[in-house]
Amino acid sequence: MSSKRHSILPPVSSGPKPPVHFSSSITIADSAVLTGTHPIAIHSESVVHPRARLDSLAGRLTVGRRCVVHERATLGAIGTSGRITEAAVTLGDYVVVEVGAAIEAGETVIGEGTVVGVGARVGAGAVIGKHCTLTPHTEIAAGEVVPDFTVVFSNGMRRTDKRGVAELKNKGLARQIDVLRRMIPSNPAKFA
Amino acid sequence: MAPPTNKAVAAPRWSHTPTTPLLLWLGVSLPLVAWDTGYMLMRPHTMPGGSLHWPLWVPYALYGEVDHLYGFKQWHLKNSFAAAQSLMNLVESLMYLGYLALWYSYGKPAAPGGRKAVGGRVGAIAALLGFSAAVMTVSKTVLYYSSTIARPSDANSPTSTEPDEDDRTFDPRAPRSNFSLYPLEYLLYCEDCHQIRCPRCVTEEIVTYYCPNCLFEVPSSNLKSEGNRCFQCPICIGPLAVTSVETKPDPGLLAAPDSASPHSGPYALTCSYCNWSSTEVGIKFEKPNSIHAQLAKLRNGGETRLTAKEQKERRKDPSYRPQAAAQGELGEAEALDLETQFANLKLLYQKQLADPNAADNGLAALGDLGFSSPTSLSRIMSIYTGGSLQDKKPKSRVGAMREALEANEGLQLADLDESAAIAQLQDEGLDGTASTSQLADQPPNIGEVHLHGSDRFISELRPIPYLLRTKRSKRCPVCRHIISKPEAKVQTTRFRIRLVAGSYIPSIAIRPLSLSSGSSASGAAVPGALLEPLKPTHFLLTFKNPIFETIKVTLGAPAKTPGRFASKVTVLCPDFEIDANTDVWDEALKEGGERDRERERRRRKGEEGSGGGSNNNHNQLEVGKIWERGRNWVSIVVEVVPASLTVEHGEGPLREDEDVLEIPMFVRVEWEAETGGEDVGTAPSKDKEAREKRELAYWCVLGLGRIRQ
Repeated sequence: MSSKRHSILPPVSSGPKPPVHFSSSITIADSAVLTGTHPIAIHSESVVHPRARLDSLAGRLTVGRRCVVHERATLGAIGTSGRITEAAVTLGDYVVVEVGAAIEAGETVIGEGTVVGVGARVGAGAVIGKHCTLTPHTEIAAGEVVPDFTVVFSNGMRRTDKRGVAELKNKGLARQIDVLRRMIPSNPAKFA
Repeated sequence: MAPPTNKAVAAPRWSHTPTTPLLLWLGVSLPLVAWDTGYMLMRPHTMPGGSLHWPLWVPYALYGEVDHLYGFKQWHLKNSFAAAQSLMNLVESLMYLGYLALWYSYGKPAAPGGRKAVGGRVGAIAALLGFSAAVMTVSKTVLYYSSTIARPSDANSPTSTEPDEDDRTFDPRAPRSNFSLYPLEYLLYCEDCHQIRCPRCVTEEIVTYYCPNCLFEVPSSNLKSEGNRCFQCPICIGPLAVTSVETKPDPGLLAAPDSASPHSGPYALTCSYCNWSSTEVGIKFEKPNSIHAQLAKLRNGGETRLTAKEQKERRKDPSYRPQAAAQGELGEAEALDLETQFANLKLLYQKQLADPNAADNGLAALGDLGFSSPTSLSRIMSIYTGGSLQDKKPKSRVGAMREALEANEGLQLADLDESAAIAQLQDEGLDGTASTSQLADQPPNIGEVHLHGSDRFISELRPIPYLLRTKRSKRCPVCRHIISKPEAKVQTTRFRIRLVAGSYIPSIAIRPLSLSSGSSASGAAVPGALLEPLKPTHFLLTFKNPIFETIKVTLGAPAKTPGRFASKVTVLCPDFEIDANTDVWDEALKEGGERDRERERRRRKGEEGSGGGSNNNHNQLEVGKIWERGRNWVSIVVEVVPASLTVEHGEGPLREDEDVLEIPMFVRVEWEAETGGEDVGTAPSKDKEAREKRELAYWCVLGLGRIRQ
């Protein structure tokens, strides 16, 4: 009777609707999932892809300017600690959270210009510095502090990014956001 | 005392007379030995079938069957012992003949009518000759028999161990077996030699070189000159991309920035994974292409360096000299890299070798012995090169070779000051040092300044050129025919020629056989189950014939598996035929009645019940009968009694994989094939339609499973 495939995700309407503070210039897909009880703030020109999951159950979520949260990325996942804090996850400006990455809640801070790679996992309370790169499937332990310009690659090896292309990367991201804006139909009104 | 003088001692005259038994013995043995020696030394012509065999050496055909030293067996094994002892026979007989001749010609009858006797010096020689020959006979005979006894009785019992490897049961546990056992899929087959060829016994030829990253096919002529196009990250071995270092003009100001702005300015290799960039080691490129050539000229830190050729040219250039003089020696002394140092040293030594009068120092006294003298050097070189370098040179005394004194002669002072490295290590810690794998991946950099004290920091690693891969064709080492040839294009994975052994030799499938009633035996019916020790188990071996001829298979397996724990093996039907691998449709379209009858016939005979699907009645195993037969396959039963793995005292513990039950099996396949016209080696066939008999024999190993401990 139904040829349509059903998503295994719970329906969007499940759970409480969190209070949101959206900038007027953001792009958020209709099918993004915003749940939780604490406020979610998304600053200007950020993009939230479809089926991205922002969960403010454990505290306030802040997404900085010109951030991109990709599909099935999870912000504010309640990790092993499960404690409720003031600010669950804070993304700086120009942060990219790629497909399937998970950032656990609990005073977790991602610095400006950092890329959280596909399937990466950032533990609760970790503080990632500015312009870091977490390559795909990287795991950052809870409470860890990663200095600025660190590249975490191949099972936790670290090195310092000395390219000095932070500016370029930011510009590139701005252009990517320009494109994404046109591609993703935005519906911030749904979450208001 | 006066020395004994050579007076004629006449009084008690000594003489020697052969006794009658001796003469009789010589009369019998000499012709016999001559016959025997003739046979041995003129083999193979004197052997059965040889041109000289008839009529003189006919009896040897029989004797050769009994004494293998005389027969074909040892002849084929190239045993040279028998021939060697025959040679000694020859010497011995000649000595006997000499003895007889001396006695006969020099002897005088001692008494009238009596036998001749030789005396004096000749007599002594004759006696000595005869005695020596007799000693030789004795020692040779003893040697012959002791060597025969020491050798185990050959070829009469199947379990005999022969010194030659071909006749021995193959031992899958022997360390060398690892190198001679391959899965069937790995084996190739030479159609001309009719032999299986394994990966170890083929000769390989490179068809194409290609870069594994970009799949670019590198012409073999450009391999050295052009170098690799793609590079790997020295940190994480990810692929490196050439990117422009120059900051692009603000994209906001241009309408279509990406397509319009031509890339310009310096380029760098960057890794998109770990964000390494060649700017970290100070390497920037002027052009985005021919990176390899540019990299060879660049030192870490971005300094360009001159290649040896350029340096030579510059040295010749008169305008450069005053410049260099102005710069002073300092500039050159510090800039000696490996390539220039080698070139300078080579130049220095060659100059000294060419100039034999360059004896200019006090070490000349050591010249002849000195290892550093050019003559001894050239002598050593001539030993290794095998040339007549030394002979051509005049053997003038040349002084010791002078070593390099200046930088332009190749002198390189060791830099023993490691404080910079220590400081860097303290600064960066262990994370700043390169790992062994990173260092091993580093390409040899002939532009490196010097080897001693070369630091091993991550910050000095250079991009790694991708190791090129090859496609290879394989040839039979014997007949040089190609047995595997891949498609030359890099993108295709197909083969033009690929003679896999699986399409020439029967495949063997193993399946445990459970007998339902289990009166005599019950075995591991479940595949992969452990084998019960000392419990007879049956396995069904299915041989599948891949070729279009009916083949006759003969199996040979040792009654007991080799190794510490000998399991008993019985092949119930070691000799059978497999029908040809005919077309499936041909078989299916055969008229029904005949097919049914045929199938009925093919089913195992002597069984009660229907011959079809129900295997329940097969509770009776018959020796010499095959179990089941199909279009091109035959199943036979092997009975195995696994050994018990109890380790007795004094023996070592159970070694790794010693519980695996493996049966070595000798497979001999015989079939008739049309005589190949393309066979070069065979004699021109008399008959076009003649079918020749082919056979192939090899050892294989069947792994049946593990024995329960």
